Amino acid sequence: MALVVLRRIGVFATTVVVASIVTFLMLSILPGNAARIALGVQATEADVAEQATAMGLDRPAVVRYLDWFGHVLVGDFGTSTVSRQAIGPDIADALGITVILVLTSVVLALLFAIPFGILTAVRHRKPDGVILSGISQIGVAVPGFLAGMLLVTVFAVTLRWLPAGGWVDPGDDFGGFLEHLILPAIALGSVQGAVLSRYVRSSVLEVMREDFIRTARAKGLGAGRALFRHGLRNAAVPVMTVLGLQIATLLVGAVVIERVFSIPGLGSLLLDKVALRDLPAVQGIVLVLVVFVLVLNFLVDLAFTLIDPRLRSAS
Amino acid sequence: MTSITPTSTLSVRDLRVGSPFVELLHGISFDIAAGERVGLIGESGSGKSLTAISVMGLLPETLRATGTVRLNGLDTDLLTAAERRLNQLRGSTMAMVFQEPMTALNPLMRVGAQVAEIMMVHRTEKGRRQARERAVDLLAQVKLPNPTEAALAFPHQLSGGQRQRVMLAMAMANDPQLLLCDEPTTALDVTVQAGVLKLIGNLVADRGTALMLITHDIAVVAEVCQRVLVMYQGNIVEDGPVGRVLTAPQHPYTKNLIAASDLSWVDDRGRLHTVSMPVVATPFVPAAAAAPRRVEADAPPPMLPAHRAAHQRLEPGGPPVIFNEVAGAPVIRVRDLSRQYRRRGGGLFSPAPIVHGLRDVSFDVAEGQRFGVVGESGSGKSTLMRILCALDQPSSGTIDVLGQRIDIAAERQLRDFRSQVQIVFQDPMGSLDPRMTVRDIVAEPLRHVSRAEARARVEAQLAAVGLDADVMDRHPHQFSGGQRQRISIARALITRPRVLVADEAVSALDVSVRAQVLNVLADLVDEYQLTLVFVSHDLGVIRHLCDTVAVISDGRIVECGPTDNVYDHPLHPYTRQLVSATPSLDELARRVTA
Repeated sequence: MALVVLRRIGVFATTVVVASIVTFLMLSILPGNAARIALGVQATEADVAEQATAMGLDRPAVVRYLDWFGHVLVGDFGTSTVSRQAIGPDIADALGITVILVLTSVVLALLFAIPFGILTAVRHRKPDGVILSGISQIGVAVPGFLAGMLLVTVFAVTLRWLPAGGWVDPGDDFGGFLEHLILPAIALGSVQGAVLSRYVRSSVLEVMREDFIRTARAKGLGAGRALFRHGLRNAAVPVMTVLGLQIATLLVGAVVIERVFSIPGLGSLLLDKVALRDLPAVQGIVLVLVVFVLVLNFLVDLAFTLIDPRLRSAS
Repeated sequence: MTSITPTSTLSVRDLRVGSPFVELLHGISFDIAAGERVGLIGESGSGKSLTAISVMGLLPETLRATGTVRLNGLDTDLLTAAERRLNQLRGSTMAMVFQEPMTALNPLMRVGAQVAEIMMVHRTEKGRRQARERAVDLLAQVKLPNPTEAALAFPHQLSGGQRQRVMLAMAMANDPQLLLCDEPTTALDVTVQAGVLKLIGNLVADRGTALMLITHDIAVVAEVCQRVLVMYQGNIVEDGPVGRVLTAPQHPYTKNLIAASDLSWVDDRGRLHTVSMPVVATPFVPAAAAAPRRVEADAPPPMLPAHRAAHQRLEPGGPPVIFNEVAGAPVIRVRDLSRQYRRRGGGLFSPAPIVHGLRDVSFDVAEGQRFGVVGESGSGKSTLMRILCALDQPSSGTIDVLGQRIDIAAERQLRDFRSQVQIVFQDPMGSLDPRMTVRDIVAEPLRHVSRAEARARVEAQLAAVGLDADVMDRHPHQFSGGQRQRISIARALITRPRVLVADEAVSALDVSVRAQVLNVLADLVDEYQLTLVFVSHDLGVIRHLCDTVAVISDGRIVECGPTDNVYDHPLHPYTRQLVSATPSLDELARRVTA
């Protein structure tokens, strides 16, 4: 078990390094002079050269990469070419907000998808099961930003129950924090919830046909109890796989939803920095986003190992 | 049939099961007395399993049952009983063991907990701790080694036989009055099967449990049961003591079934008895014995290979032996063949463990020889077959087939080899592409042949395996297992190969169909003068079909020789164990009537 976890950590660390190399290559070695991009078209050659030296662009790529990644590892993302301030604290603040938003929406999605998926599976031959399953199909087709705008129109503009956007730090005003969190989290989670509920449904349907469920029935467990005690953990395995794959989609969704609700998360920060052509900041944010996806995938992998004993033994 | 008696543990009357469109069980009635051991025998689709799951009340939603099923003289009819009542009876008064030990246990739960659960559900033990302790006891009673450790194992850590023992421990936990076993040993190796059957027999005898044992295998019934019910197309066609049914079957279907099961019974032309039955079965109509086949005077005499193998065994710790050594040029020559696998995993710093698939295997196969390879799962027989067909490469050693070193040949040098050596696989469903027509499947190995000629050859080849030309435009799913296997044989033979390799080619078939396919195969091997390598776990099939047999165990050939010699006078202890685990029908009849 410990060995399996160690191995997963090894894979995770390797992936992070590879991801950092790819990110660095994409943004630093592609054509175009980072110093000129930072200064704009009207800068003189001398200014550009000076800027390049200041940014360390005159050094070999390998040295620049090692320098950058070495500093990133201790939390130093370099200096913004626009504000001339350290990028790290900005990223840390924005990351905190995005993590809260994404995790809340994952929890909401699961809270919806698991009961809804089980219900539609158990009642798949009954009219209500078919209708509910159809509704979830519609949910899959609605993009997150549209769901967000609809939610704002109904709950913020018409009913005036909740704020239309913005962000309050939980430390400042927890009630306000929840009020600002709820709509974007639902907007982001609803699509995921609909997608996941489809997978929960098919996974539960699959598992209900398994021989070991029949064995459980033959032991004297009722249909519901057999499914609850023996089916759900087994059904969880494929659902987890999909969840792991959906995480990247979720982050892309977060970038859009943060715009819709004017939330100062990583997505908003990324779009701002791209607009300002602040390359070191963009590079740092992209890496953080990639690592965020990898961390969540790593956690999903670990959860697999906990659920399925067949994945635990190393040999 | 027996009337209702107070002692009947199970009493089934006029049980009909069907969907709104078709009836599958046509009103069957039978009783099982307390402590009686009854076998339910028949081919796939005859309604055996349906009978058992109707009794358990576990029919799928789409099927409806009518009639009455009474347990233990209770007034409640199980078919109309409330679900709550059934839940009380299942697992306590009646219990069931299913066919597939691989999938019948929850893969995510420790087996001890799964055994304990049945006692918790019925509250036959006070608490979780007592139930767990009893579970360990039960695992000891079903003779699992190290029951305390076994209880903490997950199903994937146990072998097939061990899992079936766990299923038995579970079923017997609450001392049921009725135990239903659905093909409990079909998925197991013969030597493992013998142990599990013995265990079932002992468990029910010790506790006076009534047993209903479903199987397609007459030998299994003879081993365990006192009485046998024969099912055919949703009816019970015969009911009687095992000894009587084995030695003097009444119903024509039973006669056919027993004759087809008996691979030692052949007619003058060396052909097996096959089942030919009217489509609708009429229970208990005595009929004349099936007419014997007319012996055709001009039938070609069976080809006898000039070479006769020496009977040899591998001595423990002795030097590697070259089995069936042929002077001159054999069709297949294998020398010092080894195949190792690196198992996935291993530690971070330790290398992955090495698994020996084959070790120092050396043998020859002569032209026209029918060479059988018999072994249990994991023995290395499939590895050997794959290497012989150049689908896998050995770790060391050499193989010459038809004078070509195939172990070192590149794929494009094997073109001729591929048309000369053809394979028939075990699973006729899985090995035929479901989206291709039969014509395309059979014609696929042909190269540089016009459409018209291909058509003619496919038609001729299908006729040779006993299929009409009008099947050519159909797809594999429209055929039965036996027909699909005929298609596989037609495909294998269309290039006129010199060597045919068959991997468990009849193992997935019912006995009657098996006899037909074996006859077709035997005829074609003679007609085309093929050299046959037949790999199987089934000793009976090999004995019938092959003149020479190699017994393979743990990656080594342990014994090889003329088939009759090896079976009648086995030299190696493993062969003796294997032969004694699969008694012939004559021997069974003797044992039962004794």
